[in-house]
Amino acid sequence: MSRGDRGTEHGDRERFLAPARDLLSGGIHPNPVHVPPPTPLPSDPVPEARYLNLDPHDLVTSFADAVAHAEAVCHVVDEDVPDKLLDRIVAELGERDGTSVVVSAEPEARAVGDRLAARGLGVAPATPATAAAAGLGVTSATAAIAATGSVVLDSRRAGGRVASLLPSVHLCVVPVNRLFATPADVLRRLGSGADALPPSLVVVTGPSRTGDIEQLLTLGAHGPTALHVVLVTDGRGASPPSGPAAV
Amino acid sequence: MSGHHQLAGTTLRSRTADAVADGRLRTNVARAVDRFATHRLEGLGELEDPDGLRSAARALKQQVLADLPGLLEQFADQVLARGGHVCWAPTAEDACSYVVDVVRRHGATRVAKSKSMATEEIDLNTALESAGAQVVETDLGEWIIQLADETPSHIIAPALHRDRHQIHDLFVDTVGAEPALGTEPTELVGFARGRLREVFLAAEVGITGANIAVAETGSIVLVTNEGNGRLVTALPPVHVVVLGMERLAADWAQADLLLALLARSATGQRLSSYTNIVTGTRGDGEVDGANELHVVILDNGRSSLLAGEYHEMLACIRCGACLNVCPVYRQVGGHAYGWVYPGPMGSVLTPLLAHDQPEAAELAGASTLCGACMDACPVQIPLQDLLLSLRRRKAQGAGTTERAAWGAWAAAWSDARRYGATTRLATWGRMVAPLAGRLPVGRSWGAGRTVPRPAERRFRDRWREGL
Repeated sequence: MSRGDRGTEHGDRERFLAPARDLLSGGIHPNPVHVPPPTPLPSDPVPEARYLNLDPHDLVTSFADAVAHAEAVCHVVDEDVPDKLLDRIVAELGERDGTSVVVSAEPEARAVGDRLAARGLGVAPATPATAAAAGLGVTSATAAIAATGSVVLDSRRAGGRVASLLPSVHLCVVPVNRLFATPADVLRRLGSGADALPPSLVVVTGPSRTGDIEQLLTLGAHGPTALHVVLVTDGRGASPPSGPAAV
Repeated sequence: MSGHHQLAGTTLRSRTADAVADGRLRTNVARAVDRFATHRLEGLGELEDPDGLRSAARALKQQVLADLPGLLEQFADQVLARGGHVCWAPTAEDACSYVVDVVRRHGATRVAKSKSMATEEIDLNTALESAGAQVVETDLGEWIIQLADETPSHIIAPALHRDRHQIHDLFVDTVGAEPALGTEPTELVGFARGRLREVFLAAEVGITGANIAVAETGSIVLVTNEGNGRLVTALPPVHVVVLGMERLAADWAQADLLLALLARSATGQRLSSYTNIVTGTRGDGEVDGANELHVVILDNGRSSLLAGEYHEMLACIRCGACLNVCPVYRQVGGHAYGWVYPGPMGSVLTPLLAHDQPEAAELAGASTLCGACMDACPVQIPLQDLLLSLRRRKAQGAGTTERAAWGAWAAAWSDARRYGATTRLATWGRMVAPLAGRLPVGRSWGAGRTVPRPAERRFRDRWREGL
């Protein structure tokens, strides 16, 4: 089935929905003890969360703090990824599983890949096979979120998902003009335009983790054990995003 | 693996007695829920007016439920337009047989699952295994209980009743881990990562639930910390979603508010590590992602709750906050509830969804009605009201003898003179009172209790005589 074709429907839609329609036709029985607030009209705006940890005048600092809060590492740089940072990440790789690198299809990631290849590392475009064997995956992001320290990855832009998923270290390079204040600034735009959503859009907040053993935080459950986020400011520091970027 | 439902043939009393007698279980459960509850307060404390947001979330859920048929149609049409297939499944059997068909049609034998309470509810693993497929749960906690042949003891931390030593021994006994494997969580997680990575890479079909389905774009939102929700949707060529019909949001504004509350209420995180939004199948030029998407929309008793006095239970977003604050859950853990949904939300849902099992009605009693659950609920479900109402429903179905006895008691104590007569009677019966616990009618109540002996002289007599 190619993406252009309409899917098929199984079971009987009308028979499935009939009992619900029937019950709802008489109106909803409100709880008599703890009475619910009035049901909003479709035209009423849905309230937005406000974040006490967010400084709307300094999104860069808020973002850096929130990235660290999510157990990831944030590097705020003026232009491009510094050599020293690449050296450090590569040095750490040797101790993990594999020193090869995969890159997503994004130009920002390819550029970092070229610099790593020049250092003699094996760099390949990400596929499930190359990414499963790689120690480092390099991607960009379609957006970053200051209140939560998240980066937003777009499978259409990146050419897939595995570069940020299978290697044990993920390096994500994002320019400051894609930094937004809150999740609402990103999520509430997704409905506009039929083609706005890629097959996978993932809001990544810190590295992979589990608390399933005694509720103790353990990093690197199935995805990356470490996440480095490089925010490139172009010397513009705390300026708010200039537009909706690619979202 | 056999069907897991433990309700039949056991009683709430026997299950809680087993749990209370297990000191290790109680230590593990108490440690876990205390951590969750503390983190939840920290997470919500970072939001301005979290109670206002919870109230808004309750209102938006009412709005969704009132328009559920229309939203389901919009959602299904969006999925179909993007090439996804939709199955309308009124019952658990319909859902299971559709998924088994999909797996058979691909000749698949290896199925990877991301954690899903809906698939636990319909016991999908048993159906798939009977059809010859090997099903592996990939959420670490869910894998642990699959290996132990148990049901989840918590809706977001399925294995919280087990400590590191028990998990170590389980890995050694069931999946060939070396006994030398360490018991540090990092070592246990590393072992599981290696084993489950092979599962992801080999799986032919991936199965997930859905945290939220967004009607306006036909998107499925999958929230995980481990990344299993991403792997299960990235690597296998076929992705099957089992979606409880109530998990809809009309649009992204609604989804945004629910996501602001979900992770904070569950683990206290601002957002979980991965909030994965799946819309349609793999795009041109993408190296991964499923080529085929199936969304099974499951009723299984849900629609019968719409509009009635229990409809707010359908607002539940499965965060687990009510479990973590419940004084009953803290003492007995999840297995004592006997089915897949434990704690206050389970005590309401189980009698409503498993109503064909008479044992389920007892669960309404597994609560102190303290109301901590509603106070913690991110969508403010009035759980204690629903529990009380379920007790009333159960009492109305009680035997005539029991109802006559309570009727007589109510008649006696609503009159001062008759009330006085009964308390006088009680002082006369002082010497034989301890025997009450051994009479057939009082035996089950008296077991494990010291039956109180009425006072020699009643308070009202002492008061009258000037104390």
